[in-house]
Order: sequence, then C-alpha cells, then structure tokens
Amino acid sequence: MVTLSSLIVMVLVVSAVLGFISASAMFLIWWERKVSAHIQTRFGPMRVGWHGVLQPIADAIKLLCKEDIVPVGVDKWVWWLAPFFVTVPAVMAFVAIPFGKNLIVQDLNLGILYIIAITSTGIFGIFMAGWGSNNKYSLLGGMRSAAQIISYEIPLLISIITVLLFSGSLSMQKIVTAQAKYWFILNPSLFVAFFVYIISATAEVNRAPFDLPEAESELVAGFHTEYSGMKFAMFFIAEYTNMFTISAIAATLFLGGWRGPLLPGPVWFLIKTYTIIFVLMWVRWTFPRVRVDQLMGFAWKVLTPISLVNLIIAGWFILK
Amino acid sequence: MQSGLIQQLGNLGLPQQDIIIATFYLVAGLTVFFALRVVISKNIFHSAIFLAMTLIGIACVYLYLNAEFLAVAQVLIYVGAIVTLFIFVIMLTANIQDRAIRQTNEQVFISAVSAAVFLFILIKVIKNNHWQLAANKGTQNLGIAQLGRSLMTTYVLPFEIISLILIAVLVGAIVIAKSDKNDTT
Repeated sequence: MVTLSSLIVMVLVVSAVLGFISASAMFLIWWERKVSAHIQTRFGPMRVGWHGVLQPIADAIKLLCKEDIVPVGVDKWVWWLAPFFVTVPAVMAFVAIPFGKNLIVQDLNLGILYIIAITSTGIFGIFMAGWGSNNKYSLLGGMRSAAQIISYEIPLLISIITVLLFSGSLSMQKIVTAQAKYWFILNPSLFVAFFVYIISATAEVNRAPFDLPEAESELVAGFHTEYSGMKFAMFFIAEYTNMFTISAIAATLFLGGWRGPLLPGPVWFLIKTYTIIFVLMWVRWTFPRVRVDQLMGFAWKVLTPISLVNLIIAGWFILK
Repeated sequence: MQSGLIQQLGNLGLPQQDIIIATFYLVAGLTVFFALRVVISKNIFHSAIFLAMTLIGIACVYLYLNAEFLAVAQVLIYVGAIVTLFIFVIMLTANIQDRAIRQTNEQVFISAVSAAVFLFILIKVIKNNHWQLAANKGTQNLGIAQLGRSLMTTYVLPFEIISLILIAVLVGAIVIAKSDKNDTT
C-alpha cells in the first residue's frame, strides 16, 4: 500500500508541475504580447476575453488543429525528435525549483548544479532542429546557438559559484535559508554576480538582445523555421519555460527565494520571478539586437573577466 | 538522510532495490545501444547525438553508484560542453554532413583483432576480481564538501597535474591558431 500511495503522490506532483508549466507558459505569452504592445504604444490582443487574456488558449487550439507539415528532405528522426529534446529538459529542471518552504518536488543535494546540467542538454534540441531541417537558415541558427551557449555558460557558472561561496551549499532550499539575514543581492560582490548572471542567462535562453539564433531579419526564424502546428508550439513552450526557470534561479539565488514578510512563501516567489521576467521582456523590447562578433566578444572579453575578478574578490571577502 | 536522486525513491517508501533492478538493465541496455549507434551510424551528426545520449546513459549509471556529483558533472561537462563543441565543429565543416562516411578502411582486421584481445582482457579482469569492496562497505554518498576537501588535501597532486595538462593544451591550441594567422597575413 505504501508503494501505491507514493506512486499516486508522484503522479499528482508530476501533473501539478506540468499543469503549472503550461499555465505559466500561456500566461507569459499573453504577457509578452501585452508588454511589447504597450512599449510600442499599441494595445496588443484585445478581442478574446478581457484585454485578450484568453488569446493564448485560442492560439493553442489553433496550433493543435493545424496541419502538421513535414518538409521534403528533412532528416526524419532528428527533425521529429527535436521538439521533445527541447521540452523535456525544460520540464525536468522544475524538480529542484523551490516554490515555498515545503513546496519543492525534491530538495536535491546538488540542486543548482542539477538544474544547470539538465537545462544545458536542451541545446541538443536546437541543434537537431537546426540540422534536421535541412535548410541554411535553420543550420545557421543552430550554429549560432552552439557558439553562444558555449561562451555564455562560463560567466553564468562563475557567477553561480560566487553565490555558492556565500551559501556554502548547492541545495536550493539551503541557499534560501542562507539568505535569512539579508538577500544576497545586497552584498556588493553578489550584486555584480547578479548582473553577470542575468546577462548570460538571457543569452543562454536566446532572448533579445542576444536572440541571434532566431534573428527574424536575417534568418527567418532560425532553428524553428520549418516547424508548424504543435511542434512549433512545443518550441514556444520550452522557450517560455526556460525563461521562467532562469528567472526562478535568479529569484532563489539572489532575491531570497520564497522569503518575504506578510504574504505566504509561494506568492513571494512568484512575485519575484515574474518581476525578473518582466525586466527581461522590457529589455527585449527596448534594446536592439547585437551583432555576432559583438556577442562573442562581450562574453569572452567583458563578462568572463568581470565574473572571474568578482569571484576572487568574493573569496577575499569570505576569508577576511 | 539520503538525498541522492535514486535514494529519494527509497525515502518515498518505494522499495529501492526493486526500482534499481527494474530500471538498471533498461538504462544499461539503452546506453550500450546508443554507444553502438555512435560507431555504426553513417551520418556523423547522428553519431554526435548518439554520443551525447551515451554520455547521459553513463551519467545514469553513476547515479546507481551513489556518485551524484560525478553524474551531474558528466552531463554538465561532457554533454553540455564537449559534445556541443563537437556538433559546432560538424556544423562548421562544409560537406561533412551530407556525405555518408565510409565505415571501414584497410586496417579493419588489425583493429578487429586488437578489439577482441581487449575484450578478452576485460572479461578476464572482471571474472578474476572478487568485487568485495562495494559489497562489504556499502557505497557511501559523499557530500560535495567532503569531495572538495579531499581534492584540496589528499588528491591535490593529481588535481594540480591535471590542471597543468589543461594549461599545456590551452597554450598549444593558441600557438596552433596563431601560427595559422601569421601564414595568411
């Protein structure tokens, strides 16, 4: 009986996580359209529901009903599997994200490292989409993505290591507990690490101003040019889920996670996470896209040295 | 409290041993299958993808051995960085993707013989060893703090030698890249 009840619990937890991911992705898509519209002094979607809140649902139904077009000359297996390779790691990362004091699927010992490792495998979906499409735009998109992710992973990891110096643990819950006195962002060297993290994380999830893998003006839609219907929707869901994940990591590592006065933990966690997401959207619709050479130069010549020096300074702070 | 990935299942009340038995052969079989596909695939891009999956499979095997840090590091470094670099090189190399690669060359017999000898030695070693260590002591779930401490004390010499090798490789790569540049200008 123990086995059966724990199996039921596991199924319930998985359903809750999947439900949250789809609801969150739909909300984020609507929100992105609204934010972009208001930044460009437009209204955005207005017709379906109050201020267009039901628009993502209408879009989802449309995408589900669309014909699934398989272009001639694609590499069948690679092309078919690519959307799954993008989506599954994005979902798996949710295992170690702490939504509240006890609201975490599993508080792993290696929490943050697990999330980073799992999400780093999502890149294979992008490669497979880019290469399997048998299309020069898609291939270029995949290549740019490879170069970008290799470069930006280094400052990303170093900025996270800076946090680990102060928390003394890799477990997500212990990192939150370590911020009982003050949020980590208030520490000067972690303040720097926060910005390095946000910039490299934006590059990791291919968002503007670092959205070169899918630069519309150059590459049509980059690696997902050839996808339509539900497969396209899966790329979209994965993109917004990854965005939620990086913002959730930022909230947990630098902004005290679910800690906050008055309101319950999960509410604080969601407020912090969605605030960071809003900032990312704001950045996307404000700044122009950088060039490829600027992108790589920025990672290697600016972010990596800054994060390394910052790591040494943080170490000195701790040993002092 | 155990809080490794596999051990968590035990905490949930599921019979841990049964789960390990039920899943291990599947994971190990898939890993071997993917490893075979790395060698057999005619398309070099497929080989690279299968290599990534093989390495993920090996990471899963580490989980059964209570070596979570090794598993996560494996995924992070080998899958996330090294195979990514492989794929980047494959994508940069023109015409390599479409052409089916030749599977064999004139040295196929010599390599078959050496592979057979190696297999024989492996089987001998596995059979002759009694594998008492794991059975008697039980594998310990080492904390990451302990791991770091032993890297900085007991195993500091091998650790430093490895970093020296890495530096040498880095410098070598820069030297090769630089001399190339001088030729063209």
